[in-house]
Amino acid sequence: MAFLLRRVVFYLAAFVAAATINFFLPRLMPGDPIQKMFAGAGSDLSLENLNALKLTFGFIDAPIGEQYLAYLRSVFTGDLGRSVRFFPLPVTDLLGRALIWTVGLVGTATIIAFTIGTLLGVMAAWRRGTRFDTVISLASIFSSSVPAVVVSLITLFAFGYTLGWFPNGYAADPMLDPSWGWEYIASVLYHGTLPMLTMVIVLTGGFAVTMRNNMINLLGEDYIVMGRAKGLSDQGVMLWYAARNALLPTVSALAISLGAVLGGSLVTEVVFNYPGMGNTLYQAILARDYPVIQGALLIMTAAMLVANFVVDLSYVLLDPRLKRA
Amino acid sequence: MKLLAQLLHNRKALVGVAILATVILVAIFAPLLTEYSPTQRVGRPHQPPSADHLLGTTRLGYDVFTRLLYGARISLAVGFGAGLLITVIGTVLGIIAGYKGGVVDEVITFLTNMVLVIPNLPLLLVLAAFIGQASPLVIAVILGFTSWAWGVRVTRSETLSIRQRDFVKSAEMLGEPGWRIMAFEIFPNLISIVGINFIGSVLFAVITEATLEFLGLGDPNTVSWGIMLYNAQNASALSVGAWWDILTPCVALAVLGLGLALINFAIDEIANPRLRTGGMLARWTGLIRRGEGKL
Amino acid sequence: MSDPVLSIRNLTIDYIGATTDFRAVRNVSFDIAKGEFFGLAGESGCGKSTIAFAISRLHRPPALIRSGSQILLNGRDVLALDDAALKELRWREVAMVFQSAMNSLNPVLTIEHQFYDVLKTHTGMSRPAARARAAELLALVDIPADRLSAYPHQLSGGMRQRVVIAICLALNPKLLIMDEPTTALDVVVQREILERIHKLRQELGFSVLFITHDLALMVQVSDRIGIMLEGELVEVNDAQAIYRNPQHDYTRKLWASIPRLTGARIAEGATP
Repeated sequence: MAFLLRRVVFYLAAFVAAATINFFLPRLMPGDPIQKMFAGAGSDLSLENLNALKLTFGFIDAPIGEQYLAYLRSVFTGDLGRSVRFFPLPVTDLLGRALIWTVGLVGTATIIAFTIGTLLGVMAAWRRGTRFDTVISLASIFSSSVPAVVVSLITLFAFGYTLGWFPNGYAADPMLDPSWGWEYIASVLYHGTLPMLTMVIVLTGGFAVTMRNNMINLLGEDYIVMGRAKGLSDQGVMLWYAARNALLPTVSALAISLGAVLGGSLVTEVVFNYPGMGNTLYQAILARDYPVIQGALLIMTAAMLVANFVVDLSYVLLDPRLKRA
Repeated sequence: MKLLAQLLHNRKALVGVAILATVILVAIFAPLLTEYSPTQRVGRPHQPPSADHLLGTTRLGYDVFTRLLYGARISLAVGFGAGLLITVIGTVLGIIAGYKGGVVDEVITFLTNMVLVIPNLPLLLVLAAFIGQASPLVIAVILGFTSWAWGVRVTRSETLSIRQRDFVKSAEMLGEPGWRIMAFEIFPNLISIVGINFIGSVLFAVITEATLEFLGLGDPNTVSWGIMLYNAQNASALSVGAWWDILTPCVALAVLGLGLALINFAIDEIANPRLRTGGMLARWTGLIRRGEGKL
Repeated sequence: MSDPVLSIRNLTIDYIGATTDFRAVRNVSFDIAKGEFFGLAGESGCGKSTIAFAISRLHRPPALIRSGSQILLNGRDVLALDDAALKELRWREVAMVFQSAMNSLNPVLTIEHQFYDVLKTHTGMSRPAARARAAELLALVDIPADRLSAYPHQLSGGMRQRVVIAICLALNPKLLIMDEPTTALDVVVQREILERIHKLRQELGFSVLFITHDLALMVQVSDRIGIMLEGELVEVNDAQAIYRNPQHDYTRKLWASIPRLTGARIAEGATP
């Protein structure tokens, strides 16, 4: 419990750090920050609205300390300002919609890739030195080194443009209204296949290599030899003695790689024109919509922290040494 | 030196080094390998590969093969430059945190964990968005200062275990100053970790630079693989069927990435004998087959 | 010796390298009788543990047991067994206590589970029945049954090693191999464990192959002792003979390296 509590305090600090970066970035840049931040709105912005936005981002007539507190106050009350491109749409609304798509895409892809990668790593380690191990290792090295942008462009080229099996963009058929009906869900799955495939290709190799190497490091441990000496079945020793223990360092490696996972999804969303956080951030950058850019960093950081916390929780569940500590 | 000698006996490392060496040579000798300039129109737009244009032309009529050769320079320069910066920062902070312990360690560890949970690519995008179009140099510097956290983490934990060894203890007894112990007793024992960190960081920097440029945050006048991707994407190369325009930088990035990853995997195998499987296993299998023994 | 539990003949084991091999065990032969406590001594790296691993065929590549070697367990040729028969033989006939007391239990499974998996595999026992049997076995090593739900990290080193011994006895094996079982433990716990083994052996009648580099300790507890040097078995004799009248130069050297005072005191304790 103490372990989890410490983590939560740390995550709060990390979130404040991200907000602090947001606060100082426009102020450190040359030129007038207010002018720069809200110029995207052009002449649409009335003085009244501009003042409201300035208040949200802490541009008040006060010392910098108070400005900072004012900004933190807006962030922690859930006020991330309004998009200057789609004025007066609140940033939270815009990004909230996008977040659902990203969580769906990244969450599913990570779970699939982690499961496949870990299993392949376990089998490769157990048969290390065999042809199976060589093939899996090489494929994993390739998968973990090839950039997401390359995989998504090649998948899009092969399955989207050349073979025409899957659509080239969007999360669903734009002619359909969002609903829980079968037709809409099928369209979402159909549109999601290529981005998902890209993410799985990019992520699986890293998980497989990590698991393989962690497990090989454990195979000489006395408790694993004892498992074999006990006459247990190969699968029993492989899964309950070797893999079960090798999973612990693999899960902490997963926590560290979450940032890369999110980065990969960002690029994939842009290539497939998928309406998630990454693509929204990208569009905002093109339009110099700074409130959305800043909001995206905050919400992505928050999503990372939540994902980290989920990993922490599963680590506590997996490692009995932490339960009562 | 020993590490280098061992690398040459590892098949994965050999392939990786061969790939990397090819890319380096291509970058250096680019002017000798092509008759065109990378920044001049030399043909009609979007010509497919031919004897005149080995990899076709872009929509603006640039020669794709020429841009590929010259682009390697930027990818390598940013990769190695940022990789070096990342490794230096990560190694120095990691050794200090692991060796000094106490408050210093806590501060560095806290910062490291913080950097690890703030998503890197979105942060880079936001930074780049405020800076405007970033030159390769700016990209390398930003990458260097935001991506050292992984290196600190692994270096620190390795330093913690080396610190307990006898030769460090005896150096302390002899009253050697802390910086000498860190530089001459601990650092030489971290060489494989530093190597893995360096190659991994180069790989990361190459990929990330290309990604940032692809996303339109680079300087479009640069000749680099990322800008090639960006221009091809803007020219709708895929939908008009000019696959050579976009697949060329894709394949180049994938091959360079693979080469670096192979080197890293090999260093890991050499540093950690348990991961090594190579020649002895082949001999062992042969002996078993010939019935000379069993397990 | 008539009807030995373990009979090893011409055992030769190599570790295969990329170009040359390392011969870890060179043509070793010895027997262990029923109920006997046999000690195998030598410096670390002399091949003692390699022999122990070979008896239940636990080696992994690149180890290679050369053909011509023979290991008979209760008359059965261990080297001729197939995979299924080997799994059957492991733990049922040979159980093993490993070097590090701290590390031979699976850290993520409860003690109960680590009894259960072996009982279930070999006897198909149900969970409640296995729990009852495990409690019985723990009682033999004086550990209360409520520790069954504990994880290894919640037990002390000495306790963990006693748990391992209890697991070893689960199937009434004929031979118990102890590979430096007390190196990681302090002297008091070390003594307690060995005395307990001595008592259990008298009750249950199994033989023991005891491996250690600590010759003084070994003379105290063993019936017979083999001395190993660089893969070869250089001397086998009764424990007292090894102590009082060592034949081989190396054995004498080993004794010379032990402080006399300790040696003498242990010898007095050993001869009642």
